[in-house]
Amino acid sequence: MNERLSLRVRFFLFFALIAVAVPFLLGGGLWLAAQRLEGNPTPHLLLFGGAAGFALIGVVVGVWQLFDQNVARPIQTIVRDLQTLLHANPQHEVDTTSGRYLGLLAPVVREIADAFANARADVDKEVTQATHSLNEQRQQLEAILRELNEGVIVCNSSHRILLYNRRALQILGVTEGMGLGRPLFSILNEQPFVLTLDRLTSRYLEGRHETHPDRLMTGLVFARNDGSLILEGRMSLIVDDADHEITGYVLTFDDVTSELKELIKSDRLMRSTLEELRHPVASLRAAVEMLDDMPADDADARRAFQKVLAEESQRLSSELERFGEEYRAIVTSQWPMSDVHSGNLLNALTRQFRNDDSILCDVTGEPIWLRCDSTTVVALLSHIIRRALIELDAQTFLVSARTGTSRSYIEVTWEGDVASPSMMERWLKEPIERGLGLTGVEILEHHKSEAWCEPAGGGKARVRIPVPPPASQHTATTSTAPLPIRLEFYDFNLLKPAQLGAVADTSLRDLTYVVFDTETTGLEPSNGDEIIQIAGVRILNGRILTGEAFDQLVDPGRRVPPLATRITGISQEMVAGKPRIDDVLPRFHDYVGESVLVAHNAAFDMKFLQLKQERCNLRFDNPVLDTVLLSAIVHDHTNQHTLDAVAERFSIEIPPETRHTALGDSLATAGVLLKLIELLEVHGIRTLGEAIEASNKIVEIRRRQAKY
Amino acid sequence: MAKSVLVVDDEPNIMLSLEYLMKRAGYDVRLARDGEEALASVIASPPDLVLLDINIPKRNGYEVCQAIRANPELKNVRILMVTAKGREVEIEKGLALGADGYATKPFSTKELAERVAKLLNGADA
Repeated sequence: MNERLSLRVRFFLFFALIAVAVPFLLGGGLWLAAQRLEGNPTPHLLLFGGAAGFALIGVVVGVWQLFDQNVARPIQTIVRDLQTLLHANPQHEVDTTSGRYLGLLAPVVREIADAFANARADVDKEVTQATHSLNEQRQQLEAILRELNEGVIVCNSSHRILLYNRRALQILGVTEGMGLGRPLFSILNEQPFVLTLDRLTSRYLEGRHETHPDRLMTGLVFARNDGSLILEGRMSLIVDDADHEITGYVLTFDDVTSELKELIKSDRLMRSTLEELRHPVASLRAAVEMLDDMPADDADARRAFQKVLAEESQRLSSELERFGEEYRAIVTSQWPMSDVHSGNLLNALTRQFRNDDSILCDVTGEPIWLRCDSTTVVALLSHIIRRALIELDAQTFLVSARTGTSRSYIEVTWEGDVASPSMMERWLKEPIERGLGLTGVEILEHHKSEAWCEPAGGGKARVRIPVPPPASQHTATTSTAPLPIRLEFYDFNLLKPAQLGAVADTSLRDLTYVVFDTETTGLEPSNGDEIIQIAGVRILNGRILTGEAFDQLVDPGRRVPPLATRITGISQEMVAGKPRIDDVLPRFHDYVGESVLVAHNAAFDMKFLQLKQERCNLRFDNPVLDTVLLSAIVHDHTNQHTLDAVAERFSIEIPPETRHTALGDSLATAGVLLKLIELLEVHGIRTLGEAIEASNKIVEIRRRQAKY
Repeated sequence: MAKSVLVVDDEPNIMLSLEYLMKRAGYDVRLARDGEEALASVIASPPDLVLLDINIPKRNGYEVCQAIRANPELKNVRILMVTAKGREVEIEKGLALGADGYATKPFSTKELAERVAKLLNGADA
C-alpha cells in the first residue's frame, strides 16, 4: 500500500504525523503539570501551551513545505527524468537545478546520465555499423544468387520457401506457385523431399555426418507436380548446432533434361549412322570384289553389279549428307545455350561502351526472348561495332532484337556505309576479344548461323544475325516483363518456426496477404459482365513483394464496351487471344494459396471470383479484408473512402498511368493496407479476427444507415 | 552332293553379291528376305549353313537363330551372322544365341567365303 503513494505524499504524511503529535504531547504534558501546580494555572497553561502548540505546528508545516519543495519534488523529477532517459530518449537532459538541497546527489546523477547517454550512443553506432555491413553482405548474397546459373531454393524444415533465385524460377517455369513462405509442394512433388530430409536428419542426429564424405548433403531427383519436368539436385541441411536442431535446407538444382537429351541424340545418331553406312559400303565392297573376279564375257552379271555400284554410292552420299546435317544440329546445341531476354543481352552490350566517348550505343525496340550463348554473342556484337567504328567511321549505333517466322534476329544498325561481304568475312575471321578465343565464324557456327550486312535505308547499314528462338515458352506477361532489379527473393524471418494455430488470433502484421484487383467490362457480374484483367501482389512480413506480382489480361469472351476501355485503357485488341478466365482463375488460385485476400471494395471483386470459381472447380475460401471498411474504421470522420482519397490521405502516390490498371491499383491498395494496419493498432485492433469483427460492425452500421 | 547355303537379307544389292559369291564357291544357294521366310525355308529343307542378317523384317536375326537352335533336328545347321551392328555386346549376344560365327558389314568377300568354307568343313569359324 505504502509503495503506491508517491514520495511527496509519504513525506507529507510523515510531517502530518508530527503536526498531529504536537497538540497531544503538549496538551498531555501541560495537563500533568496542571495536576501538580497549586492554584488555578489552567487558563495560563492553556494560553501559553496553546500558543506554543500552534507555533510548533506552524514550524512543522513550514519545514514540510521547504522539504517538499527542495527535496521530495526534485527527487521525483530526477526519477522521472531517469525513467525517460532509460526507456525512451537517451538524449534527454536530467534537470538538477532545483535539487540544490540534495548535496552531491544531483551532480552524480547527471554524471551517470551522461555516461549512460554515451554508452547508448556507442551501442547505437555499433548497431548501425553492423546493420550496414549486414546490408552489404545481403546485397552481395543477392547478387551472387541472381547470377548463379543453378537453381537455388532455401526452405525451412516444414518445407516453406525462404529464398529462391531467378534461375530457379526459370528452370521450374513457374511464376504463380513460387513465393516466399509458400509450401514447396505447391510446385514440386513431395515424396523425394520428405524422404531425403528424413535421411539427412537421421544422419545429423546420429552424428554420422561427421564421418560421411558428403557431410550434410545428398543428391536427389525430383519432379514438378504436373510431371512436366524431372530435375536433379542436391539437398544440404541448415543446422543450428547450438540447439542441435535442423532449421531448414538448401536445394540446388539444374535442368539436365535437355543436356541428357542432346547426349542421347548424339549417341543415337552415331549408332544409326554407323549402321546405315555399313549397308551401302558392304554392298559396294562385295559388288566391287565380285566384279574384279568376274569372267570378261559375263555381260549380264557385269551390268547387274554396275547397277549396284551406282545405287549404293548414291545411297552412301545421301547417308553422309543426313549425318552431316544431324551432327551439326547436335554440335550446335552442345555449346551451352540458354534462353536469354534480349533486354539483358543488349544492355550488357551497351554497358561496354558506357565509358567510351567515341561510341554512342543504345538499345531500341521491344525486348524478346531468344536462345544463344550470351557471352560469345555479346563479344561478337561488340567486335562488329568496334570494327565499324574503326573501318567505316560509324559512331552512332542502335542494337535491337526482333522475332522472325522461324528464328529471331539480333540487329546492329549504324549511320554510315554498309560493310561489304569481304569486309564482314575479314571481321568474322579475327579472334574476338573476350570471345573465349573464338572467331566470329566459330561463334556463328555454334549458333548454326551466319551474319551479313545490308543497307537499312536513309544512309544506314544493318548487320543481322539470326539466332534460334527460345527453347521454352515465355508467354505469360508475368515472365516476359523484365524482372525488377531487386526482387524480394528471400525472407529469412521465416526460418523461425511458422506460427500456426487459429488464423483469427494471428497478428495483422504476421499475416501473408494477396492484395488484388480486377478490371471488368462493367459493374454487374450477374448481368454478363466479365473480368478482363486480374492482378495481385503479395505482402509478407510487412513487405510488398513487387517481384512476385500476378498480372494477367483475360479474354472475356464478349466485346469490351467502350466505357470499360476508357476507364481501364484495355481494348478489345488487347484481350484478343489472351487466356480465358477458366485458365487464369486456377493460376490465380495457386498464386493466392493460403494468403488473406485483400481488395479495395473486396465485395465487388469477390463477387466476380465467386461467380466463376465453381466452373473452375475451385473455392476462394480465404479470409477476406476490405480496405474500404478498414479505412472507415480508422477514419470515421469522413465518408471519402475511394482508393484515390485513401491513398492521398496516406500520401501514397499512384502514378496516373497505372491508376485503373489492375496491378497499379493492387500496389496502391497494398500500400494503403500497410498504413491501415499501423492505425488499426492504435484503435486496439491487432489480430485478423478483430479486424474482421470490426469490419462486420461497419457493414452493419452502413446497412442501418441505408435504411433511413 | 553340293553343300547348301541359305542367304537371309533384306537388301537386294548385297544379296546379289552374296548369291554370286556362294554360287561361285560351288554351293546350292537359296534366298530369303525376312525372318519368317528364312525359318520356313530352314524347316522345309535344312541347309548346311545360313548367312543370317540381324536387321530383317518380321522376325529379326536373333529370333531366327534362337528358333533354329531350339529345334534339335536342326542342330547341324551352321549359322554365320552378318550384320551392320558392330558393337562388342551385339557380337556376344549373337554368339550366345547360338550363332557359329559373326561377320560385320562391310566385309571382305574373300574372307567371308573362307569362313563359310571352314564352317562347312566342320572347323571353327
